[in-house]
Amino acid sequence: MRLYKSIRVLLSTVLLSGMIGYQASAQNLAEFEKKVTEFTLDNGLHFIIIERHEAPVASFYTHVNVGGADEPVGNTGIAHIFEHMAFKGTKYIGTTNWDEEKKVIAEMDETYKAWLQEKFSSNPDENILSEKWAKFEELQEKAKTFVVNNEFSEIIQNNGGTGLNASTGSDLTNYYYSLPSNKAELWFNLEADRFKNPTYREFYVEKEVVREERRMRTESNPIGRLIEEFVAVAYTAHPYGRPVVGWNSDITATTIEDARDFYDKYYVPSNITIAIAGDVDPKRMKKLAEEYFGDFRGKGKVAPPVTTVEPTQRGERRFTIEGNSQPIMLIGYHGVSDSHEDFEALSLLGNIISSGRTSVLYQKLVEQEKLALQVAAFNGFPGTRFGSLFLTLAVPNQGVELDTLEQRIYDEIEIVKNGSITQEELDRARTNIRAGIIRGLANNTGLALNFASTYMTKGDWRDVFLQLERYNDVTLDDLQRVANKYLIKQTRTVGATVKADS
Amino acid sequence: MKRTLLFTLLMMFAVTAAAQKRYDEIKYPKLNEFKKADVEEFQLDNGIKFYLVEDKELPLIRVSATIRTGSLQDPAGKEGLASMTGALIREGGSENYPADKLNVLLEDKAAFMSTFIGQGSGSASMNILKEDFDELLPVFVDLVSNPLFPEDKIELSKTQRKSGISRRNDDQGSIANREFSKLIYGENSPLTRQIEYATLDAISREDIVAFHKEAFVGNNMTFGVIGDFDTKEMKRKLEKAFGSLPAGTENNLIYPEVNYSYPSTVNFINKSDVNQSYVLVGHIGGLRENPDYAKLQMMNQILGGGFAGRLFQTVRTDLGLAYAVGGGYGSNINYPGTFSLFVMTKSSTTAQAIDALIAEVEKMQTNPVTKKELDDARDRFLNSLVFRYDSKQKILNERISNEYNGLSKDAFDKYVEDLKKVTVSDIQDVAKDYLNPDKVQILVVGNAEEVGDQLQKYGNVNEIDITIPTPKSDKAEASGDAAKGKEWLGKMADAVIAPGTDLETITTVSTINQATPGGTMSIKNTATISYSDYSIDATLETPQGTMQMVVENGAGKMVMMGQEQALPSAMTKPMVDEVKNSYINVALKADNLSAEYLGMEEMNGKKYVSLKVESTSSVTFLLDPATALPAYSKVTVFDPQVGQEVETVSSYSDWKVTNGVAYSFAQEFMSNGQVTSSSKVESVEIN
Repeated sequence: MRLYKSIRVLLSTVLLSGMIGYQASAQNLAEFEKKVTEFTLDNGLHFIIIERHEAPVASFYTHVNVGGADEPVGNTGIAHIFEHMAFKGTKYIGTTNWDEEKKVIAEMDETYKAWLQEKFSSNPDENILSEKWAKFEELQEKAKTFVVNNEFSEIIQNNGGTGLNASTGSDLTNYYYSLPSNKAELWFNLEADRFKNPTYREFYVEKEVVREERRMRTESNPIGRLIEEFVAVAYTAHPYGRPVVGWNSDITATTIEDARDFYDKYYVPSNITIAIAGDVDPKRMKKLAEEYFGDFRGKGKVAPPVTTVEPTQRGERRFTIEGNSQPIMLIGYHGVSDSHEDFEALSLLGNIISSGRTSVLYQKLVEQEKLALQVAAFNGFPGTRFGSLFLTLAVPNQGVELDTLEQRIYDEIEIVKNGSITQEELDRARTNIRAGIIRGLANNTGLALNFASTYMTKGDWRDVFLQLERYNDVTLDDLQRVANKYLIKQTRTVGATVKADS
Repeated sequence: MKRTLLFTLLMMFAVTAAAQKRYDEIKYPKLNEFKKADVEEFQLDNGIKFYLVEDKELPLIRVSATIRTGSLQDPAGKEGLASMTGALIREGGSENYPADKLNVLLEDKAAFMSTFIGQGSGSASMNILKEDFDELLPVFVDLVSNPLFPEDKIELSKTQRKSGISRRNDDQGSIANREFSKLIYGENSPLTRQIEYATLDAISREDIVAFHKEAFVGNNMTFGVIGDFDTKEMKRKLEKAFGSLPAGTENNLIYPEVNYSYPSTVNFINKSDVNQSYVLVGHIGGLRENPDYAKLQMMNQILGGGFAGRLFQTVRTDLGLAYAVGGGYGSNINYPGTFSLFVMTKSSTTAQAIDALIAEVEKMQTNPVTKKELDDARDRFLNSLVFRYDSKQKILNERISNEYNGLSKDAFDKYVEDLKKVTVSDIQDVAKDYLNPDKVQILVVGNAEEVGDQLQKYGNVNEIDITIPTPKSDKAEASGDAAKGKEWLGKMADAVIAPGTDLETITTVSTINQATPGGTMSIKNTATISYSDYSIDATLETPQGTMQMVVENGAGKMVMMGQEQALPSAMTKPMVDEVKNSYINVALKADNLSAEYLGMEEMNGKKYVSLKVESTSSVTFLLDPATALPAYSKVTVFDPQVGQEVETVSSYSDWKVTNGVAYSFAQEFMSNGQVTSSSKVESVEIN
């Protein structure tokens, strides 16, 4: 019930999906081959089971290959709203009488649509509006009488479930929690039920909860406001330019019917991967998978692709938000998607210039010149499925003008373009990310998340380890080449928050 | 017929196969047996305690020390010392491994070392690949015992912390939690005091060296070591590496007494750039050692325990008032915790959300919870117990934490036993005994204009000032002759305002020439200033149109082209300060102000009497020795944009007397040597 939005989350995702030393990777891969079982059901739903018998617990992770980027125009935020709805129960969980409740829900949605129709007509009639709204509210109250509040989540928690949550990003939606491993069947039962039988219960109240989430993360948060504006300026055509939480008016405009259409299109077996990591028996998992997910509808269906491609930017774009908080700046260059051959070189570049105390931006701008409180550069924002941004975050020290810091960042980028990165720096970056991967393999949730998302994006969980070959292929020349090719003024977007009176 | 029957049977089969069984029909196998990891413990002669756990899953070793120290021990006026010391051990490196060398060494090996000091404990840890252990252990020991604390890193650390201070009012949630804590524990408690520009400036390298020396000794250290190693061999290595550390004396961390009197208060902090209110409601909490601890924890589960808690169910799910809501009765080990409930809700529903929070507390007191609620809450806890020990690291951490906090090894087991015995009436009893919904403190950080008067129904609203105290200027404080100062101040007062003159307000018509990046802009200004209540009413004719600016009781607004806009206090406060520091006001209030004569000072080739007056801030007037009228005034103010103090100088000439009041008809204002604006007065009207 969270959004992949903060820069910190982004940074850690970048590190997690990083790289690994080749020898170590071969060794790790061989070990994991023994622990991993995978299978695909007849309907196309793929499972990855990772055995880890450290303790009698298991983590369950459902990865759906749908995010903000897939949303239809006019319904931004719908992936996230649907994610919230997945906690509202099923045909017998969370309700006292589904047969009656569903009639009220259907009527409520019809009424809301009629209200919307009037509201956004060219000449709305106030009487009709208030009449429709009154009826809608009455139906909403009536629908509430059937609701058993949060029963779905409670069943999980009462059975010892922990870490129950979900998140929606530009590229994906995921759902996860952990259970004592003997309760694995409970997860199968509930997960299959909620995705086979979505009810859209409490839909319109939950949209208000989502709006509060939007106020908290975006409207009342200086960094949230900056990021929302930033992607909207950087992308003119591609849906990466839209907020994952949705524009306020789109949240208003989204109906249960829209959510149902969205579910029908995107929640199909070929678009979902499930990973289970922990103290489980793969044979039994397979049996349960067939029992519970075998009849999941949508065999052979493929989710519609995103066909919009961001056109080449014709010149630098700049904006400032005047506000009440201290300055922060984002500098983004249009880069590539994670399937592009330059992706790894750009990721390494970001890592080398800004990660760790030995990196050039830290050394010069933070330590020596004391211009910045923080500088970070990373590749793959706001997602990586499509053409993404190479983003630099710059937080100036007190009394340092943004212009000064910005210019110094460009100076350093120019030096990199002239080929200043050394083999030692490149090796160090590889070593650190390899160790990062190893450290990320020590818990069930991390394993399930990593393996499922890698399968979904790369077609094979082994790419967690095999991606290193691509990183190993990156040379100093490549780093220089991608710096010169992508880090150019023409495709740059620069956005900042500044104090209103400066 | 038969075919129909067969068909019906098939259909029935199909239906049963399609509908999956209910979740409550599942039969679960027994939980697999599971042996908790063994923890090996030993102690060195110098007092260091070690707890070792083998974990061979990955080729890593993690060594982590808990140090008995904390910012509780920061001397008053040097807040930030503990925190800086903690960070600088790692940031500055050691004698043998200075920062640059250390950074390269560690990053080449993808090894991490970090040091940190928090409020009631410190830590030093390393996380490395096992193959690097023998090489990096001596480096770690050297870092912990012989840190270098170089001056340049101390400066860097101060710069960064000051930037941090300048940003501390940017985030609504951090403001709310910080200020609420002050409401509960008091402004100057070691539990809540803040690091300020001035306290950082007061910290010297010697302070840091001494703080480290006292804290990082054997008797204050407890180590946890976990990873891929052989215990026997590891013991030997640790003995050798840490054996020579000094034993020192055990630090005595003293937590302040908390005297709480259950005041009912309503507090507001304005943040004009938000559209959501961050609300905290509560009072003091309790101690972990309280025999009712388990009952209170169960009460917390029912009231605010995640998705299943009543607050989430009511405020979020039913009412749709919030995304984030929760809270409970906090019990700390060393000092009383806080009972607090929080909610983030849109400005217009601030009071509705507060009412909903308080109603839930009252409900806990007036009605017993249901048996099912209690059983569910208990199940949630007991069934998830296995996650408390699902990694060896967690087992080790809990052991060290109990040891550090003086809890017995079986403290947790005892807690679990107590939990099992909690009854429905226990919950109601503790809710009545420990919660006081009618004696709460309410804090809202939100948008004043949008929130409006919603809070007034709870009582007098106290506006909390969160202005960041500005650092003192680097310049040495000039001090001079107070008696002579008072004498010159009297002369100046009489020169500006003839004795016996009754002065309340002054209305001036003037033309201001303001330097802007696009050239000089001329603005006609008609302003009335009251020197009794410091209200300002100014009408400015700007090239963009007429603008009216009004400041009353510290609150300001601006009206332009029919649009009214509130002025933030960041803008109105300097305006009011300027009035207070003006020669008119100083002359008017001369009897109540102190002043110092600083001698004669030359300015643009003329000699003046330098008179420092303590008004809202220090103002230095340069008086014409013949007339005692000020030719210049100098004020040093903190400019948050520049992050330092800036001196502004004003010059006054063309004096004319109106109804006994001398007024300068030509004024110039200079900032850092540049003329930023000037003003020519056309007319002056008294009262």
